Amino acid sequence: MNRDEFNNHISEQLNRNLEGLFNQVLEMGGIVEQQLADLNQALENNDEEKAHNVLTLDKLINREEMEIDRLCAAVLARQQPTASDLRLIVMAIRIAVDLERMGDEAVKIANMAIAQCKDDGSCSSLPAFDYLKQLMAASSDMLKTTLNGFSRLDTSKTMEIYHEEERMDEVLKLASQEIQEKLAETNDVETVDIYIKMLLAIRAAERITDHSLNIAESVVYLVRGKDVRQMDEQALAKFLQSE
Amino acid sequence: MSEQNLTISMDRDNRQLKLADEKIAIQVKDWNLFYGKKQALQNITMDLPENRVTAFIGPSGCGKSTLLRCFNRMNDLIDIVRVEGDMTLHGDDMYSKDMDVAALRRRVGMVFQKPNPFPKSIYENVCYGLRLQGISDKQILDETVEWALKGAGLWEEVKDRLNENALGMSGGQQQRLCIARAIAIKPEVLLLDEPTSALDPISTLAIEELIFELKKDFTILIVTHNMQQAARVSDYTAFMYMGDLIEYTDTDSLFTNPQVKRTEDYITGRYG
Repeated sequence: MNRDEFNNHISEQLNRNLEGLFNQVLEMGGIVEQQLADLNQALENNDEEKAHNVLTLDKLINREEMEIDRLCAAVLARQQPTASDLRLIVMAIRIAVDLERMGDEAVKIANMAIAQCKDDGSCSSLPAFDYLKQLMAASSDMLKTTLNGFSRLDTSKTMEIYHEEERMDEVLKLASQEIQEKLAETNDVETVDIYIKMLLAIRAAERITDHSLNIAESVVYLVRGKDVRQMDEQALAKFLQSE
Repeated sequence: MSEQNLTISMDRDNRQLKLADEKIAIQVKDWNLFYGKKQALQNITMDLPENRVTAFIGPSGCGKSTLLRCFNRMNDLIDIVRVEGDMTLHGDDMYSKDMDVAALRRRVGMVFQKPNPFPKSIYENVCYGLRLQGISDKQILDETVEWALKGAGLWEEVKDRLNENALGMSGGQQQRLCIARAIAIKPEVLLLDEPTSALDPISTLAIEELIFELKKDFTILIVTHNMQQAARVSDYTAFMYMGDLIEYTDTDSLFTNPQVKRTEDYITGRYG
């Protein structure tokens, strides 16, 4: 299946709407990518302005989601799409939800960074910061890969995303463990407070990778017409290799 | 609620149908039909499930109405038609020499594109088939007329004017009357050949709702040009193209994930 097929309807109106929908989802994905890039810089450089950018972009992301919902509802009502067209509509709605939640998770991390900047501290001095960096790097890479997959209707990187998400589950465990150990060592209320914020930030970063996997699964449904969410690793790999 | 229970209750609400789980009303095997030298149906093999709605879709001339007319041997009325293959109704060979065609048509009723009530009263329209069968007992006729009109969702509208001429009814009412006339003789299968193409959207919805109700008692086969109608009313859908059966599966699968590109191109309105 390739993108041209969505441009091959007798109805030019449907061609335009579906192309518009593709672009809208990719645009929304691009904003989330930008948000994650800003967040990375905010964390690395204690850049409060970049952290505030993350919050501003989130408002834009929320508007994008509403626009995608509106467009999908309009196409459903007016053109009653079927088969791959219908799957595109349903998956666009789902991908938009995942992207919007990614944005929300990024906001949680940005708020932690802003709080840390205000206290004249640096994020890098916090426990498990290296793990957070790993999670953030994986978040950005995974999102880029999944959006490319959506844009090209290509599922060949799905297992990569799957394994990366599993690796990030492990990173989360290690990071949580490190923070919990540090928490046990301190009685200072403010320190406890910032450690907990860090713990929540790490969880949020891991959730972003979960949403990337969700998007990758949505792309599989769009391309292959099969819901693979409940499949284990082996079954998924086997299915993706099949014709 | 346990996970298992959850799965079961979800299944019950919108169960994915599988042909393999169904009781079969009509079996078609290697079915070919020729108009003179021109072949109109090619090697059709399919099982049509009992108490389900099966829709036939496809472009004009694909053979869907021709196939539908095979199910009650309407094509026998055309001299140049020749058929090959096997077709059975609940195990009975529909094309055997011993088959009484009139009896077959009592078992397989049909409703056409254009409502065609007889220029008689509403009452006489519905009991026409029964009278042909020699039934004249007033009580049986009354009961059947009421049952059939209720089944066709028409009783409340016409119960006080059963003796009025049927031609005075609206198009939608006339079509429901034709459905009442068809079900009055309690056939096993009901063939609907574009039953709503001459009706307005509201009457169409009424007929579609009726089809859903009627499948409890009858096996329903419907030919329609309106794909959304097929998607709305049917349990199974067959896509035909140039006399071939291209794809035949449960309606959910056909309209969300067709397996054959030609089906996908047709139902999504793409240049094939």
